[in-house]
Amino acid sequence: MAERVKTGISVAVATLDFDAELMLRVKEGDGASFGVLLEKHRTPVVNFLYRMVQNHAVAEELAQEVFLRVYRSRGTYEPTARFTTWMFRIATHLALNALRDGKNDRLQERLDDDSGELPVRQVFDRRPSVEQSMVYEAKMDEVRRAISVLPEKQRAAVLMHKYEEMEYSQIAKVLSCSESAVKSLLFRAYETLRARLAHMA
Amino acid sequence: MNCPLETRENAHLLLDYCARKLDPESMSVLELHIAACSACRNFAGGQRTVWQAMDSWEAAPVSPDFDRRLYRRIEAQVSWWSLLLRPFTTVTLRRGLPAAAMTCLLLVAGILLERPAVSPAPVANGVAQVDTVQPEQVERALDAMEVLDQFSRHLRAERPGSKL
Repeated sequence: MAERVKTGISVAVATLDFDAELMLRVKEGDGASFGVLLEKHRTPVVNFLYRMVQNHAVAEELAQEVFLRVYRSRGTYEPTARFTTWMFRIATHLALNALRDGKNDRLQERLDDDSGELPVRQVFDRRPSVEQSMVYEAKMDEVRRAISVLPEKQRAAVLMHKYEEMEYSQIAKVLSCSESAVKSLLFRAYETLRARLAHMA
Repeated sequence: MNCPLETRENAHLLLDYCARKLDPESMSVLELHIAACSACRNFAGGQRTVWQAMDSWEAAPVSPDFDRRLYRRIEAQVSWWSLLLRPFTTVTLRRGLPAAAMTCLLLVAGILLERPAVSPAPVANGVAQVDTVQPEQVERALDAMEVLDQFSRHLRAERPGSKL
């Protein structure tokens, strides 16, 4: 029994991902490792939250909270799962809460200078025509709307599956549900998206 | 092979096929099936359209001051703690050991003063407790008194000038 436990621990340690190792260093007081984690995950977390709440200012505010919670939890951190699973669980939890609280709507009013709000495609070098820009914006608007009408959990599952390229098992851990439930969520979500975006073919 | 769309449990195989996440063998098996199944072909085509549309949805770049704001918030939390602890650290540094000793003394005094006084044990059922004395005890006491009386009389007889 003891042998089996020992083997289990050694396997867990051996399969520790690099991020978890960094986090353990943060736990030991290494601030630089937190900087490495921030540098690596800042953009994916902000982008995930942006696509969830569809407001850049709110997404950044939530991402700040995610990293703040990661830093605050350093003392009690245990690498029981992959670091990204743990971090995206925090991010998803915050995004779902923000959506439910309607915080997005309230902040939308406060931060209504949308100049930096809508993601502007970096195509300035190619100098798109006005028509091209309008077509692109219309297309993006449709994609955003199609995603926004998805139920919250389906939305989170699709975003993690498509943009973060997470496996079903990892999404299941983030959303605290079974793997088959994730497959079902994704199937229904993509079904809706296929119906809404079919004309883009 | 059975059509993956016929069972909800296997539908994810088509998603994995479109995402090219299947192993080569499964990929070729499914490819053969898709060539013959129009429903799966439509599914795969529709799924590719969805992903192409999603690929073009770029998120805005993260604000350049994101890290600075985050570290300021972290700093603010750390400062909050140090603000709380500051009075203690300065006193310790200035006064050193005597101040620490004084603090300990005050703490001990405080604890002693705060200790509840020892109260007598409560009387059961509100009835006053009466010591019961056995007749043998009374007899023994009387005997002892008598012995003492005899002893003092004997002493007085031996020393007539004594005040006893």
